[in-house]
Amino acid sequence: MRWQEAPLVPLAAAFALGICSTSWAAAPTSWILVAGATLLTLAACALALGRERVALAGLLALAAALGALRAASEPLPADHIARVALGPLVSVEGRLAEEPVSWAADRTRLLLDADGLRDGPDLRPVSGRLQVTLYGEIAPVGEGQRVALELKLSRPRGFKNPGAFDYPGFLRREGILLVGSGRAESLVALTADDPPWPVRVKRWAVATIGAHLPETSAALMAGLLLGEKTGLSPEASEAFRRAGVYHILAVSGFNVALLASSVFFVLLTLGIPRRATVVVAATALIGFALVVGGQASVLRATVMGLLLLAATLLDRESQLMNALALAVLALLAWRPGDLGEPGFQLSFAATAGIIYLTPTVTDWLSGWSWPKWLATSAAVSLAAQAAVTPVMLAHFNQLSLIGVAANLIVVPLAAVATTLGMLALLAALASVVAADILFQALWLLLLALRASVWAAAQVPVAMVHLPAPGWAAIASWCAALALVPYLNGARRWVRGAELACCGLALALSLWPWVRPGDGNLRVTFLDVGQGDAILVEVPEGPRLLVDGGPAGAQRLDVGERVLAPFLWNLPTARLDAVTLSHPDSDHSGGLRAVLTRFRVREFWENGRWISGTEDTLRAVERSGACRRTLVAGQRLWLGSALLTVLNPDGTRPLDEPPLWGQNEESLVLRLDWRGFSLLLTGDLGAPGEERLLASHAPVRALVLKVGHHGSRYSSTEEFLSATRAAVAVISVGARNPFRHPTPEALGRLEAAGARIYRTDRDGAVILETDGTTLSITRWASGVVDHLALDPERGS
Amino acid sequence: MSYSRAQLKLLLLLAGIFLAGLGVREWRADFPAAAERLERFDHEDPPPPIPPAPRSRTAPRWAAARVEATVPALAPQPPRPRTAIAPAPAPADPRPLDINHASLDEIARLPGVGPGLARRIVEERERLGRFDSTEGLRGILGLGPKKLAALREHVTVGE
Repeated sequence: MRWQEAPLVPLAAAFALGICSTSWAAAPTSWILVAGATLLTLAACALALGRERVALAGLLALAAALGALRAASEPLPADHIARVALGPLVSVEGRLAEEPVSWAADRTRLLLDADGLRDGPDLRPVSGRLQVTLYGEIAPVGEGQRVALELKLSRPRGFKNPGAFDYPGFLRREGILLVGSGRAESLVALTADDPPWPVRVKRWAVATIGAHLPETSAALMAGLLLGEKTGLSPEASEAFRRAGVYHILAVSGFNVALLASSVFFVLLTLGIPRRATVVVAATALIGFALVVGGQASVLRATVMGLLLLAATLLDRESQLMNALALAVLALLAWRPGDLGEPGFQLSFAATAGIIYLTPTVTDWLSGWSWPKWLATSAAVSLAAQAAVTPVMLAHFNQLSLIGVAANLIVVPLAAVATTLGMLALLAALASVVAADILFQALWLLLLALRASVWAAAQVPVAMVHLPAPGWAAIASWCAALALVPYLNGARRWVRGAELACCGLALALSLWPWVRPGDGNLRVTFLDVGQGDAILVEVPEGPRLLVDGGPAGAQRLDVGERVLAPFLWNLPTARLDAVTLSHPDSDHSGGLRAVLTRFRVREFWENGRWISGTEDTLRAVERSGACRRTLVAGQRLWLGSALLTVLNPDGTRPLDEPPLWGQNEESLVLRLDWRGFSLLLTGDLGAPGEERLLASHAPVRALVLKVGHHGSRYSSTEEFLSATRAAVAVISVGARNPFRHPTPEALGRLEAAGARIYRTDRDGAVILETDGTTLSITRWASGVVDHLALDPERGS
Repeated sequence: MSYSRAQLKLLLLLAGIFLAGLGVREWRADFPAAAERLERFDHEDPPPPIPPAPRSRTAPRWAAARVEATVPALAPQPPRPRTAIAPAPAPADPRPLDINHASLDEIARLPGVGPGLARRIVEERERLGRFDSTEGLRGILGLGPKKLAALREHVTVGE
């Protein structure tokens, strides 16, 4: 590729860099404005003086300044709903910005453009977008409809853990500053369901597909054609991810290109004049983009497709890279926040990779006497994979090893299926019978597609998980890719540079795995909302996870979303032991994902399981971990740390229901390492605490994990005075319905003289000790407290 | 015939698709069970529900002495009856049921409470630790205000 033919690339890069810069350093808008004006003057002067290179440099800097200006957060309008003082339950009116999404049996998510706030009898005009979760069966409503709702509004809150996904930031980029929740019965439709035509088309298409295909295949077809992924089962989505072909389920440039090219070539084949063909294809393209919605990938492909069609019309040679750069500029000028979105990055990285690398790689493969068609498709697959690897690792810690091969089979199948699906939908307009016959043929194809994805996902190391790469690793990888087309020149220094860049990227990626330990013991109380998840890292290497946070059919799977990314980023591939204190879903739920995704050597439990934890139990059985049922009195070594089991005392047979409820049968573990001691109490309540004291168990410890999230029926005065903990950590979710931690428990902890750390306010709480001092980090604020360990304490 | 080569290709392809579609339709009508199996080839059955009585486990080897003394359930046990789902109304018990200590079966025998609701009540109790009052039952899925009012006469909350 010659850079002269893509003059927009540097401009687009400068603009993107400007947007990026606002996240590193936020300069006041007025300063950027002044700087921009200065740059403009300088560039104009340079141009007047005939110094074109200087003018160009000025222009690029100006583009960066414009990007920074565009990304600077706009001031909130005075009537924005986030500014309005709100009561506990408010009555809001607004228009639905998209179709409601049901993400669990009785949970529905709405995107509401608020326009009125009911304040007694009057309606106060407001503005702003809300993301709303409704509980219960909602009345049928659709995009564009005005509705009234009773909501509890709050600021969005993400899990604050090292390397965690910034959920509030993500919502802010989407223009959402407040989230609301309410009961489905409170939803009242104010206008009739009269959606705009793209929504009608989409609904009709989904209904038609559903009428002609069996459930799973219909869900897959809706995903392929329209990006509707809600119907797809979690296992199926996971198989697509493992096989590295998930991108075909997102409506992407792939669909847009297919649509445009099939319309174009079919019409040409039928002998329609070129100009008319171009116009029809362009109309189809725009219509499709409107129907499937405004994801970055669709917009990118539509802009590029329209440019290519225009080039055909004007008989100009089209420059793909230039078209891509224009698409970047247009999209970022419209929605600068998209730059940080994985969807945007994946779409542009894959396209850029394909355009930039495919010719060279095809040459290489053809040089090894591969047939032409195979060389081209393999080159496209390789180029896309190479380009998206850093993005996938940075956002999802995923690297699909089977992806390049799987794409070779799956993409052509998906292409045929998508085209046939469009044809079948077209046919459905005319005749139901013809459509049904086409859908039957399509079913066969979809089965083949599912089978190949499933087979690829079964390969043992189809996908590996690696820690997110740092900037240096990403930069050296990009440099290595940028050098690829110049390798054919066989200049020695290019080869050297290529090798150096590849080596550097590899070394930087491997460094976290081989980094020597610092000899400290680390205990991380992760912020998992209402629930517990505690990781103990012993200096010799062993890792123990105590509980896995909440998950279940109706809520976010913390194991998948919080624990797994945290562990991958450490990095970890193996957990030496996983402990389940008791089977309540806020402790056991997340373990399903942990046991499925990591190698677990031992699983320690109290031996009791309750209904509702079947998924976790099955994951335990399949994980191959050695299971141990612990009872009081047992001692276990974890590296150089000693674990002592204090509860349950084993007096209650396992096949009888517990006397006081499951909580009192919680595993209570004591950990000792040098001068450090930690008491992990699970959800133990007052009766269990009493029993511990009566049995003279060694409960005295430096750090106490407060029992049952700070419930008032835990942490009795007697127990706290026996533990004499200097540090108390409460693992609890913000705004939880149980009102944990309770003022009673907090009062008793304070009276006992413990420093209190709470995961709802402090985010992850990280204890790190070398045996003589203890440092405690509140992750959310970054505040670190230091404590000297008293060697006399343990005696 | 005045078809071009490309047009012929396109038409042949279309005809082939229709032929395949008709064939599949015929086959699916004749063997619906096989078609259903094929459609669900990658489905996994949900795990079996956990029965109320937990199963016995083997003792950890390094604590054999201790465990033998405390876990008597190593011998095979006679099968326990599963939760009784009695369609007939249970004999009325004059004493209110202590919802904080009642077993799943006992709760399921309350008027208007089936095994599903009983399980949700027990889950809620396990999560909360205990109910402070019958108000704590409010909000459990399937327990509306009417049913709750009716239940209040039959239950109490013990310490």
